[in-house]
Amino acid sequence: MKKVLLTMSTIAVAGTMILTGCGSETKGNDAANTPTNTQSNNAAANTSTGSSSNETANAPAGDMKLRILDANVGGKTPEENTQFEAEIKRLTGIEATLEKPASDYDQKVLTALSSGEKYDLIELSDLGTLATFVDQGVLTDLTDFVTKSSVLSDPTVIPTKEWDQLKDKDGKIVAVFSKFQGGTMPIVRKDWLDKLNLKEPKTLDDYYNVLKAFKEKDPDGNGKNDTYGLSTSDLYDIQGFMSSAGLKYRYVMKDGKRTIPYATEAAVPMYEWFAKLVKEGIMDPNFVTNDTGKMRNLFLTDRVGMVTYWDAWVGMFNNMRTQEDPNTKFQAEALNGIAGADGKVLLRRGDPDFWIIPANAEHPDAAKKFLEFWHTEPGITLGSLGIEKVDYSKSGDTYMLTDMGKEHNSDHGVPFWYNENVKAPFGKLPGVQAAQDIVKQNATLELSLPGWEDAEKIVKNYALKAMSGQMDAAEAVKKMHDELMSKNLIDE
Amino acid sequence: MKVLKRYGALYVMMAPVIAYFLVFAYYPLVKGLQTSFQNYRLMGDRPYVGFTNYSDVLHDSTFWDAMVNTLVIGGGILLFSFAAPLVIALSLNEVLRTWYKKIAQMILYVPHLLSWVVVGGIWIFLLSPDSGLVNMVLVHVFHRTPFNFLADASWARWIMILLATWKEMGYTCILFLAGIVSINPSLYEAARMDGATRWQQLIRVTLPQLGNTMKVVFLLNTLGILRIFDEVFVLRNPTIATKVDVLMMYTFQKGILDIKLGPASAASFFVLLLTLALTLVVRRVTRFDEV
Amino acid sequence: MSDRFERLGWKNKTFDTLNALFLLALMLTMLIPFINVLALSFSSGVASMQPDIVLWPKAFSAEGYSIVWKSLDIWRPLMNSVIVTVIGTALHVMLSSLAGYVFIYPRLPGRKIMLTFVLITMMVPQEAIMIPLYVVNKDLHLINTLTALVLSGLVSGFSILLMRSFFLNVPYEMAESAKIDGAGEFRIFLTMYMRLAAAGLATVVLFEFVGRWNMFTAPVMFINDTMKYTLQVALKAMIIDTNSNSGTYMITTNVRMAGIIISIIPLMAVYPFVQKYFMKGILLGASKE
Repeated sequence: MKKVLLTMSTIAVAGTMILTGCGSETKGNDAANTPTNTQSNNAAANTSTGSSSNETANAPAGDMKLRILDANVGGKTPEENTQFEAEIKRLTGIEATLEKPASDYDQKVLTALSSGEKYDLIELSDLGTLATFVDQGVLTDLTDFVTKSSVLSDPTVIPTKEWDQLKDKDGKIVAVFSKFQGGTMPIVRKDWLDKLNLKEPKTLDDYYNVLKAFKEKDPDGNGKNDTYGLSTSDLYDIQGFMSSAGLKYRYVMKDGKRTIPYATEAAVPMYEWFAKLVKEGIMDPNFVTNDTGKMRNLFLTDRVGMVTYWDAWVGMFNNMRTQEDPNTKFQAEALNGIAGADGKVLLRRGDPDFWIIPANAEHPDAAKKFLEFWHTEPGITLGSLGIEKVDYSKSGDTYMLTDMGKEHNSDHGVPFWYNENVKAPFGKLPGVQAAQDIVKQNATLELSLPGWEDAEKIVKNYALKAMSGQMDAAEAVKKMHDELMSKNLIDE
Repeated sequence: MKVLKRYGALYVMMAPVIAYFLVFAYYPLVKGLQTSFQNYRLMGDRPYVGFTNYSDVLHDSTFWDAMVNTLVIGGGILLFSFAAPLVIALSLNEVLRTWYKKIAQMILYVPHLLSWVVVGGIWIFLLSPDSGLVNMVLVHVFHRTPFNFLADASWARWIMILLATWKEMGYTCILFLAGIVSINPSLYEAARMDGATRWQQLIRVTLPQLGNTMKVVFLLNTLGILRIFDEVFVLRNPTIATKVDVLMMYTFQKGILDIKLGPASAASFFVLLLTLALTLVVRRVTRFDEV
Repeated sequence: MSDRFERLGWKNKTFDTLNALFLLALMLTMLIPFINVLALSFSSGVASMQPDIVLWPKAFSAEGYSIVWKSLDIWRPLMNSVIVTVIGTALHVMLSSLAGYVFIYPRLPGRKIMLTFVLITMMVPQEAIMIPLYVVNKDLHLINTLTALVLSGLVSGFSILLMRSFFLNVPYEMAESAKIDGAGEFRIFLTMYMRLAAAGLATVVLFEFVGRWNMFTAPVMFINDTMKYTLQVALKAMIIDTNSNSGTYMITTNVRMAGIIISIIPLMAVYPFVQKYFMKGILLGASKE
């Protein structure tokens, strides 16, 4: 009993010590924070007087403040993030605070917006969300700003046609790109193709033969039958194959009617094709439960010969294996999708990453100034290479990456950009250019109309059952179509 | 006056708790209730729309699917994660060697230390048809073909129930053990005087004396069943979604993915009301107030 | 030990063996995944991604740990987590015990109302009140402070009910007689109930400690300043979010597993210490016999 008491009191004492210790620490922090707070309050006051006199984005930035919420842009560590803010200050004079939640970004954005938290810039990457935000009165109309901005209206900085992605239904521009977004396509082990004396596949039958060979002919030469031809992460992303039947994922408007091509008769033979791959063990049986990370791992570890993924990752795959072993034979190569009967290839272009200025922003002028900066050379360098003296050093026109810079892979939110006048100082990773050419030629955005979240559940449920052989393809498509119709998610 | 004198100190002890709940539970709750009657736009005006959000939810067939899933999975978890830990606690109590008991108790508790994200990730791996341990055993020991447990709709609910039980049983087991520990030893002594065997001691002393703890555990589990979320969020995939998407998953989808905060809030209040009803039933049945 | 198990016939022995085996089987279902994680965390990057059942490190390497360490600057989030967990748990246990104690008085006027008041808070789905809760914290100027995290879940109906059920096992007559001797409520509470319900107290401490250590939603919502992140938040990005499309760095399996191990080490360290109390309780009971 005594012992118990003794231990209890020890805990109590230890607890009190920690309590008081922490208490004083918190105080210390507060004291340290106070001067900055006052300063920034002054700055805020200044800016608001400034903006009331209708300053444009060209106004002197000496006392501008900016509060940013984003998912990708910024430093990779807390320290680097602070340095990133300092670098923005150095390059633009704007006193920026950059808030980059580690996870659950969407939830964070919603909570912040609906509780009246005031941000000047928010990064988003989903066009469906953008449409909802338009409906819910979140956005500032940026049409005037963009068309009058000498930077942003320049077609060599951002091709004029691209802006269509960021317009609301009345044709007003409501957001500004944060980077160039790529697309996805089949990526193949070129070294396996060569080893087995195969050519790049073009038709559905070609693909079948190549994938079958990957499964059966031991392309990695380890003597074990442990390879698969193809892996995906559920329906992500079979677009390159569905292309052969002329089917585009998500919604397609046909004579003003909502249709989902994946839920039509034409999709039946395609699901059957996949079911055959699954049955013959050519397709990774985990494709239903895979996340994309697992799919990548399989590709990187010689277990699967083909995946469908982002253009940028062709380079990353090659780079990772080369880093691991400079003499590796590993070579990833982008393939074009399969042309349909009309000769057209349908690939997926990712939704863009973009900035919005919320309607309640306190410093819209600083935000606009930042957006212009973001598309000029210093901005692009910051978003890609990173911070001078931290991630890279520059002498004359030559850039040198530091160790940290190498680790960060020249990506601080902007791995690729639109601006043609700014050249990447280190070129692109091997294989990326070819992949991007395919994207530019054949990849188009997917259309998500309201209700897509519900429709997607139905489509995936039956499509995956058909593909994995749990359900007859024709029956699955019929059920899928009927259910979509009955829930009024498609018109025909 | 007399009451105050006799019980005054107790009210003082309760005061900080009540104050806390008022600010951090009831006030937000009332605010949330308000949201459920509004067309809650992210910005700008938020007009009141009466019961529109509620009727929208009630007319959504997805909501009712989610309700069925919740009741089936929640009911299963309620049953299994009450019975399993009880059996284990009794079994642990019969172990004579302290070191074995200690180690067993410690190891059984480990899954509870891990979040669902980690536990889910591990089990997705273990159940994988390609190289997962479970299928390896099926193939090599029982000579069966590999089975894709997580992609088969008929297994989905069982997997949710069993994994939840597996993860939490060490934890609930501790509650029972703590209950067993505080049983008055003289009761066992008396039973032994009467010549009771171990089994009879268990039936006559341990189980009846655990009554209080059992009621608490059952009530606590009841409160949780309608709020299952993390597990499903981590383990679901599109082929089993229709069998396992529960009510909180529905509100998550409505609120966070579809950005319809009004209906999401209305759906949460259905969950609240349902929990309230369930709890009242359980309290009545277990006569909790008389504990 | 006592004479409780004196009559060890063959039936008893068989039962004991079967019982031990049953527990062993259960333990294995917990141990194997855990060993798997541990082994992977000490494997090299490439080896950790090979599809095998790994129960022993393949190509032994601590690079997973060094990557987690380096890229997270792990001390700060670790300290934040420790501060929030220790202070939060201490206050939580204190307040919950107080309320739990109040509820053992069956004739206390208003008891039923207060009990319902507490029970209702347990039914509120957090998701439903997330936004209002954020507003409360904002109005109290708590956003971006560790205080917000300490205050989040400072009392819970769960712990109150638990403490109450443990206090109920303390003989009521003891309190009555102490009261007749003129002892005040606080004294009875501190000197008798808190002491006698030590095993229960340890249980609540353990639960709350684990809960707070793994606390996730609150820090994600209330903390924007990366300097104030807790360990779980800092780790999650690394362990889980492998789906990001612009993410450019490769988190191999060994890194993810190292992250998991690091996040549970403090829990593993606290657990045996708390477990001692259960054992002490058992021994206390035994010595009284």
